[in-house]
Amino acid sequence: MTATFKAQDEDSPLRAPRASEAPVRMYGVSKSYLPGSWALKDVSLEVGRGEFVFLTGPSGAGKTTLLKLLFAAERPDTGQILVLGRNIARLGGGAVPALRRRVGVVFQDFKLLTRRTVEENVGVTLDVVGTPSREARSRVFNTLRQVGLHDRRNDLPVALSGGEQQRIAVARALVGEPDVLLADEPTGNLDAELSIEIIELMMAAADRGTTVIVATHDRSLLERYGRRVLRLEGGHIAETAGDSGA
Amino acid sequence: MTAIVLRSAWQGLRSTGLMGGVAVATIATALFMLGAFALVVVNMEGLLDDFGRELQVTAYLEEGLAEDQAKELAHRVETVEGVEFVNHVGKDEALERFRAMAGGAALLEGLEGNPLPASLGIFLRPENRTPEGLAILRASLDGLPGIEELAHGQEWVDGYARLAALLRVVGYALGGVLSLATLLIVANTIRLGLYARRDEIDILELVGASRLFVRGPFLIEGFVQGALGGCVAAALLALAFGLLVPELRYGLAFFLGNAAPRFFDAGEIFRLVMGGAGLGLGGAALALVGGNS
Ligand SMILES: Nc1ncnc2c1ncn2[C@@H]1O[C@H](COP(=O)(O)OP(=O)(O)OP(=O)(O)O)[C@@H](O)[C@H]1O
Ligand SMILES: [Mg+2]
Repeated sequence: MTATFKAQDEDSPLRAPRASEAPVRMYGVSKSYLPGSWALKDVSLEVGRGEFVFLTGPSGAGKTTLLKLLFAAERPDTGQILVLGRNIARLGGGAVPALRRRVGVVFQDFKLLTRRTVEENVGVTLDVVGTPSREARSRVFNTLRQVGLHDRRNDLPVALSGGEQQRIAVARALVGEPDVLLADEPTGNLDAELSIEIIELMMAAADRGTTVIVATHDRSLLERYGRRVLRLEGGHIAETAGDSGA
Repeated sequence: MTAIVLRSAWQGLRSTGLMGGVAVATIATALFMLGAFALVVVNMEGLLDDFGRELQVTAYLEEGLAEDQAKELAHRVETVEGVEFVNHVGKDEALERFRAMAGGAALLEGLEGNPLPASLGIFLRPENRTPEGLAILRASLDGLPGIEELAHGQEWVDGYARLAALLRVVGYALGGVLSLATLLIVANTIRLGLYARRDEIDILELVGASRLFVRGPFLIEGFVQGALGGCVAAALLALAFGLLVPELRYGLAFFLGNAAPRFFDAGEIFRLVMGGAGLGLGGAALALVGGNS
């Protein structure tokens, strides 16, 4: 699953996949929550298969909004958004779950199921795609071990610290080996050492072919890795920096 | 996937607690009322069937009709359309029978002679035991010499059948109203449960859960609550039946005669429980449609 994705052109779902089509593409995208103010304005970008990019910018710049558009939690007002070949703006209600099963998301506010154990929280990603429970358990265990929480798998999220909860959210996004991974401040509650571990887990996913976008304020991370950086300011793409352009 | 849907339904059932209890109690109450009604109708209709089996038309013969004339009359009646057989009861036999009946002998004490008329017991074929069949018989016997009077329980049976039919219609109307009310109440309780789990539902949808995956547990929950309500109603009906029937023996005898009132059979209880399950499922579906979720 890591190395494949089926491109689906919005006009012809049966068209053969083209390797050159970037899994994440935005063209002239604008989004406004309130009339007269733009959370995103005329944003265009492409992120290729297996690419890892940072998304940065001041608070309120539109990072979360951009990510939300990519997993169809919000709809754009104008512009085209193509994720894994699907046109988000034209996605029917029934197609949204199918898209989300191939897009892993680490939410800024974690969004954990408060009445489910750590293990169940991570496993839900596999449950919704119908992974057999035996296989799901072992994959959940392995992913939890990668984020260092396998010993806490039977606890409820409330019993965990903020940083630990954040790592559950990361594990849940990673366990399904998604084609696209969107992480909104995934290291916001972690110390420098853990932050590096988590970022490197995501980079490993990118090496296996996942397209990764990580929104972060953490300047040290941007500097440390020298990856491509998309900077948002007031809803505009202000600059893109780093070693690999789209 | 089924496992987690079921598990989630189970957790929902447990966590719904009081509200779930309200849904079960509502369904149980509605089904109890409907079930009680249905019991009455079922018993009345059972009695009607018995009448149908035993329905006999009695033609009383004129006083002084000779034995061989009566025999000939019996043969003629036997040729009438729809008649299965005719049983000739002579005056003496009638007296014997009357004596044999409880109290009959005492009533005849000190009576001179035999006041009882001879009669023909006429049995119709089962398919002719209808108002139409009776009308044909009546028309055929009309004006036959030797017949004094035609008697049958039909008028009473007709009245009784009309009452049973009326009760059945009232039962349907009552059922409709109660079902609708129950559906709305159940939908509301389930909708409350839906709100309580709003966050959970949102999260499941964000990780790609399908509509069925998210809504399935609520449908199962409604189904289970409804079936539970049906079981409670059946148990309460059985209890009420067991306690009340002996108490109401005389009142029931008025409606049922000597027939013993019967409770629902297994198939009918199953339908009651499934009716509850249907109400619960319908209520849940209504909650999910109306809850813009
Ligand atoms: N649901 C909403 N309703 C109205 N306005 C919103 C909503 N969500 C975001 N906004 C506004 O859109 C703008 C961009 O918000 P967004 O959450 O995308 O910023 P961000 O870059 O993620 O900020 P942060 O770094 O603080 O998380 C902000 O001005 C915010 O107030
Ligand atoms: Mg944000």
